[in-house]
Amino acid sequence: MDVHMKRLRDLLVWVAGGALLVAMVVDTSAMLGRQLHLPLLGAIEIVQAAVLFGSAGALLLAALEHSHARVHLLLDRLPGSWQSWLTRLHAVCALTLYLGLLGGSAWIAADLWNGQEHSELLHLPYRPLRLAVVFTLLMLLGHAALRLKKKART
Amino acid sequence: MSGTATGSLGVLSLLLLLLAGTPIGVALGLVGLVGLTLTLGLEPALIKSAVLMFETMTRYELGTLPLFILMAHLCFAADASRDFFNVAARFLGHRRGGLAYASVAGCAGFGAINGSSLATTATIGLVAVPEMRSRGYSDALATGSVAAGGTLGQMIPPSGALIVYGIVAEQSIGSLFAAALVPGITQMLSYLLVIALLVVWKPGIAPSLPRASWPERMAALRRMLDIGLLVLVVTGGIVLGWVTPSEGAAVGAAGAFLICLFRRRLTLATLHRALAETLKTSGLIYLVIIGALVFAAFISVTGVTESISQGIAGLGLGPVGTMLLVALFLLLVGSVLDGLALMLLTTPILLPVVADLGLSPIWFGIFLVRAMEIGFVHPPIGMNLYVIQGVAPDVPLSRVFKGVLPFLVADLMHLVLLVVFPVIAMGLLQWMGK
Repeated sequence: MDVHMKRLRDLLVWVAGGALLVAMVVDTSAMLGRQLHLPLLGAIEIVQAAVLFGSAGALLLAALEHSHARVHLLLDRLPGSWQSWLTRLHAVCALTLYLGLLGGSAWIAADLWNGQEHSELLHLPYRPLRLAVVFTLLMLLGHAALRLKKKART
Repeated sequence: MSGTATGSLGVLSLLLLLLAGTPIGVALGLVGLVGLTLTLGLEPALIKSAVLMFETMTRYELGTLPLFILMAHLCFAADASRDFFNVAARFLGHRRGGLAYASVAGCAGFGAINGSSLATTATIGLVAVPEMRSRGYSDALATGSVAAGGTLGQMIPPSGALIVYGIVAEQSIGSLFAAALVPGITQMLSYLLVIALLVVWKPGIAPSLPRASWPERMAALRRMLDIGLLVLVVTGGIVLGWVTPSEGAAVGAAGAFLICLFRRRLTLATLHRALAETLKTSGLIYLVIIGALVFAAFISVTGVTESISQGIAGLGLGPVGTMLLVALFLLLVGSVLDGLALMLLTTPILLPVVADLGLSPIWFGIFLVRAMEIGFVHPPIGMNLYVIQGVAPDVPLSRVFKGVLPFLVADLMHLVLLVVFPVIAMGLLQWMGK
């Protein structure tokens, strides 16, 4: 892994991991608050937002590290040329899926851009959340495209 | 093309893509997206898939999974993973087969802080297998007991598989955890019984060891106290309904963070490593969940499940006969697909069938995870066997399989019992009035 990629990975871990730690602290405080009759209003909404940023980072990190779950039963037993052909097929499949999800997400985000969407209690705006999803899908799409280009060269 | 034909074609394409090694989440999502496009049109397919993705990523319950994984990684960083085995080994080690009992108990204990079969097998295997082999235990018993015991990680709450099932099947994760308790405990007891029978049959495979002194036992117990208390609070809190599963996961992660701090094991580097591993594992599961939900949306509009339901009803086997047939089908498909793929391919198809039979979706979740677990220990996939071979590379795979065979028989009997007596899973829930 080159230096830039390592820095990007570290940043991703701290940002998405930070979101997870926020979810951890808020949910624990909400639980303690409830037991002490000091309810923490809107805790669920904060956790939801944190979960979105955490899951966006997690999706990117799993893609960067090629750690997606797959069935190895046949793949590992095929000759090298078949494996290379299948790896290209996997990248095309990923590219198509991310493109579809990106199309739909961008469509909804554009439709609701002026809709003043926000959460009920804390009025957290949904725009940054929708943007984060679109950005994540763009990154995933770019990553799949790069992977396909790299495989096509070899 | 009729909806049923499109659905069947979709399932077949998915199977082919999975066998071709396509990432599970990508295969599920792509077949779902293309299928929705064919049945509903491009615009509804794109919108539906994107809505499902956004709803999933902002789901409160989704936080449960990474926080439980973070709890496990922080416990691992606190060097607490081997504590359960150490305690069991001090108390049981002097009995014939005692270290094998301790391995199974250690797997059950570690399973209570970690929801993965592979992680449990690898972690306990690293400690228990060399210990057993150095004390003269047969290779087959040493490796077989841990490979089988590792599957407890998947059943004993918190279970990653049950969380994923709960999200995909829209079932209460708390109820699933409560329902998994008795099956998890009886599964552990069945493994202990297998070891007891094996050592009676062939005493030479597990020699007796010197008895640990009480101060040694107490020292091991003291060391495990903090983690034990955390497990009790988290699992007990969720099962008794004091905390939601998401809160339980947050409390568990926060507790593990504090334990790490008090044991002076928390540095920026360990925190970074724990977060990175958590995100990596969560990321792969998130993609699978999103893909599975898109695939489920496609399957639900094709009418394929209604056709399967009608076909099954036409057989006239009744709930028990049908579920035994389903179990056989799962075990066969589980020979070519790994657990997660098996669960997410079959849940959208079989869940409506199960509902038509009048069976509980909570029970079905436990049944499905139990069937999945068996796939972890039987070839050709049998991931736990490979994990154990990684721990003891000089033990041939055939010997590991020979060791796991008696446990596999116990697994199959346990699965049949779960089908014939659903009360094993549902009894505690009914007793608690859930």
